[in-house]
Amino acid sequence: MKLNDAILGGVFVLLAIAVLVESRTFPTLPSQPYGPGTFPTIIAVIMLVAGGSQIWAGMKSSAPLVVVQDWAKTDGAFGRMLAVPAFVITYILLSKTVGFPLLAPVLTAALLLIMKVRPVVALPIAVVATAGIWFLFAWLLLVPLPLGLLTEVIY
Amino acid sequence: MLPIYQAFAQVMQPDVLMIVIGAAAYGLMIGSIPGLSATMGTALLVPLTFFLDPIPAIGAIVAATSTAIFAGDIPGALLRIPGTPASAAYTDEAYKMRERGKVELALGVNLVCSTIGGLVGVAILIIAAPQIARFSLGFSSYEYFFLALLGLSSAILVSKGSAVKGVLSLCIGLLLSTIGIDVVMGIKRFTFGDGELIGGISIIPVLIGMFAITEILRKCASPGKAPETPPLHIGPATREVFSTIWKYKGGVLRSSTLGSVIGALPGAGADIAAWIAFALSKKLSRTPEKFGTGHPEGIVSASSANNAALSGAYVPSLVFGIPGDTITAILIGVLLMKGITPGPMVFVMDAGLVNAIFAVFILANVLMLPLGFAAILMSRRLLSIPQNILFPIILLFCVVGAFAANNTLFDVWVLLILGIIAFVLEENEYPLAPMILALILGPLIEENFMKSTIKADGQLIEFFMRPIAGTLGGLTLLVWAVMIGLALRRRYARPAPAN
Repeated sequence: MKLNDAILGGVFVLLAIAVLVESRTFPTLPSQPYGPGTFPTIIAVIMLVAGGSQIWAGMKSSAPLVVVQDWAKTDGAFGRMLAVPAFVITYILLSKTVGFPLLAPVLTAALLLIMKVRPVVALPIAVVATAGIWFLFAWLLLVPLPLGLLTEVIY
Repeated sequence: MLPIYQAFAQVMQPDVLMIVIGAAAYGLMIGSIPGLSATMGTALLVPLTFFLDPIPAIGAIVAATSTAIFAGDIPGALLRIPGTPASAAYTDEAYKMRERGKVELALGVNLVCSTIGGLVGVAILIIAAPQIARFSLGFSSYEYFFLALLGLSSAILVSKGSAVKGVLSLCIGLLLSTIGIDVVMGIKRFTFGDGELIGGISIIPVLIGMFAITEILRKCASPGKAPETPPLHIGPATREVFSTIWKYKGGVLRSSTLGSVIGALPGAGADIAAWIAFALSKKLSRTPEKFGTGHPEGIVSASSANNAALSGAYVPSLVFGIPGDTITAILIGVLLMKGITPGPMVFVMDAGLVNAIFAVFILANVLMLPLGFAAILMSRRLLSIPQNILFPIILLFCVVGAFAANNTLFDVWVLLILGIIAFVLEENEYPLAPMILALILGPLIEENFMKSTIKADGQLIEFFMRPIAGTLGGLTLLVWAVMIGLALRRRYARPAPAN
């Protein structure tokens, strides 16, 4: 999905202005004009100019606001793409309470099904993938992956 | 001889060996599956290296990337899909060889030349790096500032598309690097009152987000079908490999050297080295008319060059701490996490570590030969893994990998948000390499810039007063001038739209 250059240019300009404003609040070294704000200010000015030129280029060109690229024209492309952030956000929100060993296979199986993998294949793969990652991270590398609901069962 | 013996003794530990072999096998898998790039593979490896000692960590990255660059040739020759961008230069030629029934020869040449190129690159690294390090011991903040700036500017120069977009991508990286405690006065910057941001943005989730989540989003939207791959017969064609390489030995040597030098240049990496080596070998060939018909000469040159470039890229990374491409940027990120700041001082203070790094480079490249052979044999299996199964598993791995480094879910947010930002940028033709280089170089640039500014009392001319700093500064300005010139030429050369 390609946006007109002016749109992202505008985002950059706004971001640059925000950085400039915030950098003004930083202190400077005693009796010197420099301080923690100097470097961000320089970058923000460059960003402002470059973003401005993108706005200019976008306005001048006859490009439409949004161009949908080939990959996005496949059936259900957006739905499948949204499934990715949904997967990550669900993991963030639920992993502590539900626990990795229960949540990960469900999420992975769900995503596999959305990706049109047959259930007979998707379910075992989700379980094996979860087990593999658990083995690698929790068992081998000692990462404290949350047990969640299983905590009470195990301890 | 003693230091070399010690270095190899350090590397030949069973655990280090196992990790390097494992990483090499992993790299072969990543490289031969189209859609998984060497950079993405490296980014996925980072959460694991977090738990390793420096030597095996470096070994894992070096082994995985050099094998991935070779393995990218496999789908190139079999399916005409380059597994990594570094193979794109000669994919057509290799595919033509397949059509002539010489696919085994093409792959064999790829493998052996990749190994030779890699080893020549390592030799150049071993010879050049300590010399340059000794020379650069006298560098002050001015020189480092310009070196880093030159690196970033070249990254924009060689990136495809608009230079303005490259600059904007760079600015995002630099701004991200300013989050957290500042280097001048130690105050909190851009933390929005969030405790997690005080330590700065953690590099692991950013890397995985930028290089893996972007690809997952794209591939989940439209998963590719696994195409039919032809069977391979390891037979008479294999014997031709060595005679073919011997025939073009000059090309191998020339391209390996050329590749290492291109790799060492800031910004230019394996893909550019392969394109240049291929073009040069066509120009110098006695039979240039055979190029494009399934002729191995160009393949010999280009597949030596891309692996050599990979080794060459480590010269500026190890000597100055300034990465030449995205892969070395990731390696530097890993070294920094291990408390090793790459730079000339490492060569003086910790020669043992440097020698061990060299040893691990040699090992990784030598191991490529047998493992690569196995990968060619198994390639049909690897290529038939359906993408709609692969990418959900990779996503789960990404989430856990982002969480694992600091055991915080905050990093998983960083993964997602940076992944989406990078995706939007890439969709709009913003190059990502300047952003990641800037993020890793940001603290170095800011520190040296602020030191220099304070020393010079704000007089910009002081930045150019030392001979080397002046030269580097001049070079940087030259790169900028070239970029502006190219942009202007593009604007005026383009035919005016009919209105």
